[in-house]
Amino acid sequence: MPYLPNSITIILGISTLITVILYIREYFLRKKDASSLQKISISTKQKSIQLLNAAEMAETQIISDSNYITQKLISEYKTQLQSLIETSGKSITSSQDQLIKFIANLQTRSDTLEKTSKDITEKKINDLFERLENRLSDFLIQAENKTTTSLELELKASRELIETYKTQQLKLIDENILAMMEQTLNIVLSKKLSLNDQLDLIYESLEKAKLEKFIV
Amino acid sequence: MNEILNIILKDTYSLSDLKHRLNILKTYIVQNLFGVDQSTQKQPAETDLAWLKSLSPAFFQNFNKDNTYQLMSELDKTINQLKTLTIYVAFEPDSYSLILMGKYVRKTFSQPEKTTSSTNFPILLDIKYDPSQIAGCALVWNGIYKDFSLRSGILDKRQLILDSFKKYLR
Repeated sequence: MPYLPNSITIILGISTLITVILYIREYFLRKKDASSLQKISISTKQKSIQLLNAAEMAETQIISDSNYITQKLISEYKTQLQSLIETSGKSITSSQDQLIKFIANLQTRSDTLEKTSKDITEKKINDLFERLENRLSDFLIQAENKTTTSLELELKASRELIETYKTQQLKLIDENILAMMEQTLNIVLSKKLSLNDQLDLIYESLEKAKLEKFIV
Repeated sequence: MNEILNIILKDTYSLSDLKHRLNILKTYIVQNLFGVDQSTQKQPAETDLAWLKSLSPAFFQNFNKDNTYQLMSELDKTINQLKTLTIYVAFEPDSYSLILMGKYVRKTFSQPEKTTSSTNFPILLDIKYDPSQIAGCALVWNGIYKDFSLRSGILDKRQLILDSFKKYLR
């Protein structure tokens, strides 16, 4: 670029100059700002240190106040607690006594009740057994009577049946015995009777007819 | 005619025998009187021949050509009027038994001594077979039946027999 136009060189120079000026200005401004900031920060620090100190003092105060109050509260609490404990202990003791008494009373009452209920139960059981016994004996007597009656009826019916059968059989025999006998005699005698025997029997029949004067 | 019948009935005891013998007699007399060819006729049985031979010649003289048939028809009529005793017996008697029975009946129920009337002929038997009699006999006379057999005896003593059987029943 040996031969740049002069305007451009001028422009470049101007711009460079402006830039430098601006830079320097900015530098000083910043420095000023920095110093102001530094001052501010220093004041802020001081204030904060003051505040801190105040706070420390307040804190100390508060802590001491609180310790005192705490101690006071603790003592009060202890006292109240102690009294409360005592009261509670007394009430517990009295309650315990009452409870013991109550339990003893309950025990007595339950013993009495138990005894009474036992007596009642025993009595009821005895009554029950007695009734059961009576009813059982009544039932057994009734059952025995019924059984006896039914057995007697059965026996009577059986006897009657036997008698009926016997009578029927005898009647059958009565009706048939002569036929059986005739048949038997027919079979036996007609084979075993000789001609002479037959003739003798015929002669007997004829004699009988003569005696009765059947043939006149 | 009664004499002829009496002679015939002398040893004829049953009605069936009587009828049979009358037939034999008739045949024999007709053969002898009228000379029928014997070869064509049936020969009588030996018993019948024996009976015919037992008849006396005088008996046969009662018959001649004129009266034979008349006598025979009268004999038939008279036979039907003869008294017959029906006997029911339990067996079938043979001829000998029949004779014995007949003799016994005539002896037992004998007619009065010979009278002047010749109308009393001996009793004739009519034998019938009835096995239900068991033994003994039942008789029918003049239309009346009476049982004299063992069966009747059992029926009469039925109750006694039943009572004796009942002793064995419990």
